[in-house]
Amino acid sequence: MFRTQGHLVDLVPPPGFRIRTYSEALRTMSSAPGTASFEQLALPLLPSLYSHAFWLSRDHAEAEDLVQETVSKSLRAFDSFQADTNFKAWIFRILRNTFLTSRTGIAAARTVFLEDHPDLLSTADASPTPEDILIRLDNQAAVNQALDQLQPLLREVLLLCDVEELKYKDIALVLDIPIGTVMSRISRARRALYQLLQPQIGESL
Amino acid sequence: MTQPTRHLDPDMLNAFIDGELSSSESHEIQQHLADCHPCALHVLSATQLKAATARSAQRFAVTPDALARLAAQLRPQELKKTARIYSFRSITWAAVAVSLVLAVSLIGLRQTRQANALSAELLDQHLAALSGGASPEVLSTDRHTVKPWFQGKLPFSFNLPDVLPADTTLKGGDLTYLNGQPAALLLFTIHKHKVSVFLTQRSGTALVTLWPRIRSGFAIHDAMTHDLRIVAVSDVNPPDLDLLLAALVQAQSPH
Repeated sequence: MFRTQGHLVDLVPPPGFRIRTYSEALRTMSSAPGTASFEQLALPLLPSLYSHAFWLSRDHAEAEDLVQETVSKSLRAFDSFQADTNFKAWIFRILRNTFLTSRTGIAAARTVFLEDHPDLLSTADASPTPEDILIRLDNQAAVNQALDQLQPLLREVLLLCDVEELKYKDIALVLDIPIGTVMSRISRARRALYQLLQPQIGESL
Repeated sequence: MTQPTRHLDPDMLNAFIDGELSSSESHEIQQHLADCHPCALHVLSATQLKAATARSAQRFAVTPDALARLAAQLRPQELKKTARIYSFRSITWAAVAVSLVLAVSLIGLRQTRQANALSAELLDQHLAALSGGASPEVLSTDRHTVKPWFQGKLPFSFNLPDVLPADTTLKGGDLTYLNGQPAALLLFTIHKHKVSVFLTQRSGTALVTLWPRIRSGFAIHDAMTHDLRIVAVSDVNPPDLDLLLAALVQAQSPH
């Protein structure tokens, strides 16, 4: 299966194809003045906001409160929203800031920023072989467990990238970090996930 | 394996699978991948990890109740800001659409197995009806005979369409159980293909997504009304099946 390399290349999604559909939809809405009300933009994002809020807070009631507060804050600030920016990134940034000022968020903010402590990463540098990982990736339970165990800061960037399908520049806006840090954080997050998946491979062999 | 070219560095690989590269950069990488087995394997593995992450993260979906509360928060402001009933209505419809999408996605991953079991059960029942081993309890093409027969036998009621789509005939009905729930089984034919339609009560039990929509060559399509879930199984052309489903859904609305 791995020998047909031409086929492998075909499996890779064309660059930006899912992301583009979303931003195009937003642009279409934003390009017609008056048609893209706050409600029209925010309503389709409620499930995403909720799910992301849950991952931040790990609590359903708190997730709902966070989204409520995010919606009311962003509604008040909607006048300052510029139509050519990504609404999703904008409202996710507000969600994140709302979380960071919540009680759970303040506790979470004490998490050590890995970028500031590269020495902490030295143990995470041994790369597992992709062949091994492929065996485990169809085991959703193993992936669920790995994602649960992933360091919150790393998980957050992966959720924005893989689930919310935000562009790196939009993730940089949400997290308020330079785009280079987004890239390195994504690399770290995926490597850490590989690592978390690895011990289970040993069990299965 | 013994490519002299440099292997992709992790940042580049991630940017590639995340669609962050220009088309020329992507093209260059694709050419490298065609020749470099280890890198192709890395890309495949990373692409699958990305997909698995997305699947895994979507476990914690908003409940329909919570979504309704959140959507309601948007509504009064809409009225205040634009005071247009039209917008209000479109928001309401969007909320309904979102909750439907959500109801389906909520159960998505967790209940795949259950859904498979349900579609297998549907197919079994349809095949049993096809074999004609047990003829249906009501053998009638008259909706005025079929509908009253069900009355008092089921904990819900339903309507049959006044007019069926072209070349679609009601053949009869029967009582059955589906996923542990009492169900009405209606038998139709569309262009001589037999169709089994199952009607169950929507409330009470968790909705199970039907997946796959095609099983062993039979299409399994479903639709929801306010109170009912309607599932149709047949080997007929799926658009014809959808026409029948639409007629049945239409018949449930009071207009």
